[in-house]
Amino acid sequence: MKRGFGIFILLGAAVGYTATPAADVESTASLVFGSFSSPENAANWAARVSLLLNTPIEVESLRNAQGVWYRVVTTAASETTLNAVRRAADSHKLTYWRLTRLPGSPDVVAETLPGKSKPPPPGPVRHAPPVRAREPEPIAHEPGKDAADTNSQLDFDLGLQTRTYRVEGFNGQSRFQPSLSAQLDYYRTWDKERQSLTFAPYIRYDAEDSERSHFDVRELFWSQVGNDWDLHVGVRQVFWGVTEFHHLVDILNQTDLVENIDGEDKLGQPMVHLSLVRDWGILDIFALPGFRERTFPGQDGRLRTVPMVDGDHPIYESGARNTRVDGAIRWSHNLGPFEFGIYHFTGTSREPQLVPWGLTSGEIVLRPRYPVIDQTGLEALAVLGDWALKLEVITRSGFGARYAAFNVGFEKTLVGVMGTRTDLGLVAEYMFDDRDDEAFNTVFEHDLAFGTRWSMNDIADTQALLGVVWDVKTEEYFFSMEASRRLGETWTLLLEGRVFGGADEPDSNAPLQSLFDADNKTASLQRDDFIQLELTKYF
Amino acid sequence: MDLGRVQADEVELRYFSYLFLFCWVPANAALPLADGLTAEEFGLAIFQEADRRDAGYIDLQVDLEMILRNSRGTESRRLLRIKQFEKPDDGDKLLIVFETPKSLKGSALLSFSHRVEPDDQWLYLPAVKRVKRIASRNKSGPFLSSEFAFEDLTLQEVEKFTYRFLRKEIFDDRECFVVQRKAVDKYSGYSKQIVWLDTAEFRIQKIEYFDRREGLLKTLEVRGYTQYDGRYWKADRMLMVNHQTRKSTELVWRDYRFATGLSEERDFSTNSLRRVR
Repeated sequence: MKRGFGIFILLGAAVGYTATPAADVESTASLVFGSFSSPENAANWAARVSLLLNTPIEVESLRNAQGVWYRVVTTAASETTLNAVRRAADSHKLTYWRLTRLPGSPDVVAETLPGKSKPPPPGPVRHAPPVRAREPEPIAHEPGKDAADTNSQLDFDLGLQTRTYRVEGFNGQSRFQPSLSAQLDYYRTWDKERQSLTFAPYIRYDAEDSERSHFDVRELFWSQVGNDWDLHVGVRQVFWGVTEFHHLVDILNQTDLVENIDGEDKLGQPMVHLSLVRDWGILDIFALPGFRERTFPGQDGRLRTVPMVDGDHPIYESGARNTRVDGAIRWSHNLGPFEFGIYHFTGTSREPQLVPWGLTSGEIVLRPRYPVIDQTGLEALAVLGDWALKLEVITRSGFGARYAAFNVGFEKTLVGVMGTRTDLGLVAEYMFDDRDDEAFNTVFEHDLAFGTRWSMNDIADTQALLGVVWDVKTEEYFFSMEASRRLGETWTLLLEGRVFGGADEPDSNAPLQSLFDADNKTASLQRDDFIQLELTKYF
Repeated sequence: MDLGRVQADEVELRYFSYLFLFCWVPANAALPLADGLTAEEFGLAIFQEADRRDAGYIDLQVDLEMILRNSRGTESRRLLRIKQFEKPDDGDKLLIVFETPKSLKGSALLSFSHRVEPDDQWLYLPAVKRVKRIASRNKSGPFLSSEFAFEDLTLQEVEKFTYRFLRKEIFDDRECFVVQRKAVDKYSGYSKQIVWLDTAEFRIQKIEYFDRREGLLKTLEVRGYTQYDGRYWKADRMLMVNHQTRKSTELVWRDYRFATGLSEERDFSTNSLRRVR
């Protein structure tokens, strides 16, 4: 504190200024530009005034009942100089007042102290005490004081969706599939935002597929946030991964397959999740009591296997069936342009094997079988200029022999393509599974994907994603397109389309055969090309 | 408590010597300036002083409304909540959370700015609960579809530019330093910027942005400076006009709060991105 003050005086003395004419009588008056309780603020202000007026300005201390004050004041000068300073101050619209010192008692002056509403001191005062001269208040904010003690938010959206297929389904399912959905999101926080409750139920009604009409609690959990830890208890959604086309490492939440075949819609998973934030990264520990079964389209649904999956009669490897407590631990860290996450999961596989099952009616269905697995996964990402390089790797035991799979790829962002405001993202990824043709739980075993992401950067937030996945060995492919824009402030329109090709349709005499034909895994999707329109209103 | 002031103290001698050199700058200074201070050094000194005056608040929270207008006058509004954490030894940390439009509610951007290296940025996509790292080298693109580019709004560390003092002049009744600055980053969308800072408080009053072909692209005018906690001057309105498209974006800043007790670990980690509301 003292030092800053001292330096100012030192420099103040060194400042060159027009020498006072010798003949001029030294005045007992000076101009005051404000008073402060902090010497640094006074020094700051003095420096600025000095700079503006090109004249030496001092800080002097004075004591009164309120304590020590620091006054920003002109150095002793002649009346002529003082008048010049006054003119300069007027031209800069600085406020000041004139102080006339009483002989012998320089500190005993009728000064209007900051914060007092007394009339200005005697002398030709131009203005009220300067605004600048108000002593800064100490920082009044207590930590967390601003966070309202409780705060709650309720959001709600309604969606109308129609899917139109190119042709009827393999089992004669309808070409037109309208549905309605609603999502509620309630959030309440208290304890200075240290604790919160989230509740997000979701419902869809589908006019064609009774299995697609469903209700799910996406989230219902309580959180407590410490300084370097988070604890979440309840039903939640947690996503892991870096690649765009296939989410290989993502494992905690079950896929809500009836919503969309892209695997991005998830069912809520009950969990206790402790997250520790440390210098060496973030450590997440999960206990996952209870298993969620995958949703599958029903008899009248589209985008399903032929024959259909009977999701209501699953087979569990675990004797505890869907009440087994699974667990996962993950370490993630970022070091400048590099980041990674590595985890181990032990528990019932979210991804089922599909087992053909003859019903007494003679009909054949597929039953989902959920084995107990151990899976270790790694995700890594490096940012190099405009490039993001991405890697996802897993190794899994429990699905027959231990196997490994990876996704590797990049994303490059081009800002302002062709002189427009549009940003273009280019994505290329390769997906590999070391079981090759034996990998019946995935279609991504030797596939190349290429995608573009267009962001128009317009008022309506228009965006588009175009992608193609191509199996380099079997030459199966699918195209996908997603485009969205806002209509006004509370509506959005989403257009989605998919085209499947390169495989033969299932043989109606032997549908099972095509299901286990490694060159024809997408056979049952070949009639399911569709265009989807979705209008959403946000409340 | 008052960390910023202690740090400012240590560099005070240097700054004050620059400050006093300001006294000798005549309105139309012939360059190099008095006392061997070149126009470049003087420009730098002005921005160092502006930076020093704007430092030391530890953290801040503020609400931002963006009003986007196109040339036909169609308007779109976005409401954002912003948290910022000062890192005296590096760039600051910034968290931006979407409030409206509702379709984007809960989306959030976390940015760790660095003095020289590119910033680290993550985007949170609430629909898929995904934290996505963004390659952020090129920041010349529009920020949230506005006329502000990422580089106009991300934290402007002094080291990210080279400077050249041009002149002093009166702008909007205030005496201003007029300084030209050029981004060190070769991916900047601008060939140069001309900045008006008032000589009284070193607050940015106006910026003219020039495109890569040296044409005037945009003008930013800053209004309504209010002093908070007796120290920091913060503007409540900024208007950016794009002269080439005739679109404009107005920023309205509300409810500035300083030193609110934000924690680097609790409020500025990828974990905090996932739980923002």
